[in-house]
Amino acid sequence: MVEENITVTEQKERLKVQDLKVRFFTSKGIVKAIDNLSFSIREGESYGLVGESGSGKSVTATAVMDLIPDPPGRIIRGKIYIDGFNILTDLDQLAKIRIKSPTDVIIKRKKRLIKRHNYIMSGIRGDKVSMVFQEPFLSMNPVMTIGDQIKEAILLHGRVDIANSIIKRETMNAQEVSKIVDTIMAQPDTQTRNKIIVRLCGEYAIPELAKPFTDLFENSTDRDFIINEVLSLVNTKKTGLNLEKLEESKNYFLLRERILDLNLELIGAEHSGDERTAAQLEAQIKELKSTMRSQFLLYSIKRRFMRRFIDAPFEKFAEGRTLELLTQVNIAGPERVMTSYPHELSGGMLQRCMIAMAFSANPQLLIADEPTTALDVTTQAQILDLMKEVNKNYNTSILFITHDLAVIAEMCDRVGVIYGGNLVEEAPVKEIFYNAKHPYTTGLMNAIPRAERRFEKTARLESIPGSVPNLIDPPSGCRFHPRCKFKMDVCSEKKPKLVEIEKDHKVACFLYSDEVEEEPREEIP
Amino acid sequence: MELKYFIIRRALVIIPTLMGLTILTFLLLWAYGPNLVAAGFESEKYHNVAAALAAQGFNFSDPIGTYFSYLAHLFTGNWGTINQPISAKTLTAVEIFFPNTIQLAIAATIVSVIIAIPLGTYIGARPNSPADQAGRIFSLSGYALPAFWLAYVLIILFGKKVGVVPYLNIFPYDGNGSLNVSSPIFNNFHVSTPTHILLIDALIAGDIPLFESAFMHLILPVATLTYGILAGILRFIRAGMVDASNQEFVKTARAKGVPEKTVIKKHIRKNALLPTVTVLGLLVSSLLGGVVTVEYVFDYLGIGYLAVYTAEATQVWGILVLTFIFGIILMITNLIVDVIYAFLDPRIRY
Repeated sequence: MVEENITVTEQKERLKVQDLKVRFFTSKGIVKAIDNLSFSIREGESYGLVGESGSGKSVTATAVMDLIPDPPGRIIRGKIYIDGFNILTDLDQLAKIRIKSPTDVIIKRKKRLIKRHNYIMSGIRGDKVSMVFQEPFLSMNPVMTIGDQIKEAILLHGRVDIANSIIKRETMNAQEVSKIVDTIMAQPDTQTRNKIIVRLCGEYAIPELAKPFTDLFENSTDRDFIINEVLSLVNTKKTGLNLEKLEESKNYFLLRERILDLNLELIGAEHSGDERTAAQLEAQIKELKSTMRSQFLLYSIKRRFMRRFIDAPFEKFAEGRTLELLTQVNIAGPERVMTSYPHELSGGMLQRCMIAMAFSANPQLLIADEPTTALDVTTQAQILDLMKEVNKNYNTSILFITHDLAVIAEMCDRVGVIYGGNLVEEAPVKEIFYNAKHPYTTGLMNAIPRAERRFEKTARLESIPGSVPNLIDPPSGCRFHPRCKFKMDVCSEKKPKLVEIEKDHKVACFLYSDEVEEEPREEIP
Repeated sequence: MELKYFIIRRALVIIPTLMGLTILTFLLLWAYGPNLVAAGFESEKYHNVAAALAAQGFNFSDPIGTYFSYLAHLFTGNWGTINQPISAKTLTAVEIFFPNTIQLAIAATIVSVIIAIPLGTYIGARPNSPADQAGRIFSLSGYALPAFWLAYVLIILFGKKVGVVPYLNIFPYDGNGSLNVSSPIFNNFHVSTPTHILLIDALIAGDIPLFESAFMHLILPVATLTYGILAGILRFIRAGMVDASNQEFVKTARAKGVPEKTVIKKHIRKNALLPTVTVLGLLVSSLLGGVVTVEYVFDYLGIGYLAVYTAEATQVWGILVLTFIFGIILMITNLIVDVIYAFLDPRIRY
């Protein structure tokens, strides 16, 4: 129970994006924002996506969360596996798209399925993946306090766990305490010990006691004394609330989680064509819903009209957790920040709050969409350090999106270079910086100002001529060819395929391989 | 606590505005000249107009002195008399007529807000859907249809028989208004009228049939007014919803995993309602200022009704006092709107 060893299994993929295709249907035509993009992020890895403005970085990030604003945008094709579940399983059924001409597209949305899709996505978002946005000022609700916004995120997921830990706290007895104290004292290393204490405090819904406990274990070696201290401290935190009511809440949320899981299974079954299982699951969901309606009728009425009382223990837990999270992201005066509104804080502080919010449910994957772009350099460094720390401590995978190569060098293990909606190169970070293959990547590297080249004769900063193509009517073949120094005839005719040319190093360029990407013939261009 | 100081500071602004208002109405008084002004003060008791005016402290050769005695009159409630629609002191007339308007305005506001918020949320969450188009037509018609026309249509449809037009006879109105001005409603009641709001007075006296009648008399005017207000705020809520749902923070909320319904109700709507408060405040102040046509058509004894009669018969004191009262109402509703806005939107610096 108290093992801190993290075993990194290289093969496990937290996020896998396959053949993602995103289109925006505008009045000027169809914007081919993302074309056949594939990449994957392993457990504990931080993956960087670089590119110029308008190359499709942010669209990729929002697509992974399925948050592309619709209208005008839609994911047309692709698979996005989050923790093994393809969130785009029923993509084809959600809407029928008929293209009369590029400016006249009829999209017929299926309301019922979209409703179910949204329901499932709201269970996945925030819980398994969360996102930190570019503009902290715009990304916080201006009329809600920071505390309320973070609390909301906490209370949306893992209610059962919260109820469990509150019950654990309320029923904590001497025997249990002595057992825990023994295991902690058996740990010789102070640092690991402290980590265990913090984690256990979280588990028992007493995060505010972590500090006194660590002090206690540092200053004393007397087992009985410690046990007594811990017991008395824990007893002060017990609120003596009605455990039966809490159990009821717990059962209610347990049932809700069960229904969500069944829905996920149902989608899987429907997609694999297993009609019998699907029918069974559907019946099961119906049954559970009806039991929920009958068994928890009174409870849901109470929840609707007397939420303050029903949710009071949860609210209190969320408050403690919010404070803990804000302290974790090194915010000065977390109590004050909790009651502040977004306009009262600086950009750096807000970005920390965003990160705290993103971590409220301990997600396995964090998507950071240019989280430092709007911030000044010192704050940038702090935010990056914070994210690195979280990445290390919780083994969270990070999808890091930026145009800043320095940030990439600082943060990422692997880098994907994106141009015009296509992935043109993918390699470990060192390879990208010292052994870039694709002409676009080398161009990007040469555009970095370097101190040691200041006195050279050719002190001019190199840039890539031209600008990002208009994706309504992208160049044929390789989308980079009009700007490329090494342009060949084949470049404008065929599209190069992303091929692994060295270990872990993939490039899509005819300079390195002749493989052509086969465009599947489709209705949507 | 800062809010308290904000209210005080904001309320102090009323004083200079009020001064301006009194000067404007005084100019009106000056323009009417001695004869009409004296008419409000039983001038027939005196030898001539000048004597009657002098008794009230007015001297038309001394503007400054007259202004101050006019102020004294205004603030002490010594507002002279009027003869139409009732023959009484102006103060008494206002006391009788104004509560009726308050009742009408509050009822119309409450009904339209109760309808507009859920309806606007529903429509605003589905821009360009059939429901949205229907809402747009509804709003536009509410703007375009004059209230008096709608009032007559409602009377014809639901009131008593008018000529040969078929009728439903649901509500107690005939085509020429329900009440006879020569025997005003307030004299004929067998109950005492401490608040002058018939609904409440009837309840106080425990007279259920009277309450019922008062309630039935209220429905059509309220419906007419509600249509107009609803049309106004529905469009604002819809626009606010569409605007707010394109903001970044909505994406953040969705990324947190907030269910779609809660996103709309908690995150989008809260921001969408902010501009609506301002519009609603303006609408309410115009209602309280007497919806002249509606009150006139329904023979509803409100302040708008009073205003029509005083203006028609050039009863100077009625005109002056009502202008003054309308000004004050506008100022106070503006103050209330500002305070509510500051309360709702934490970004307002006060």
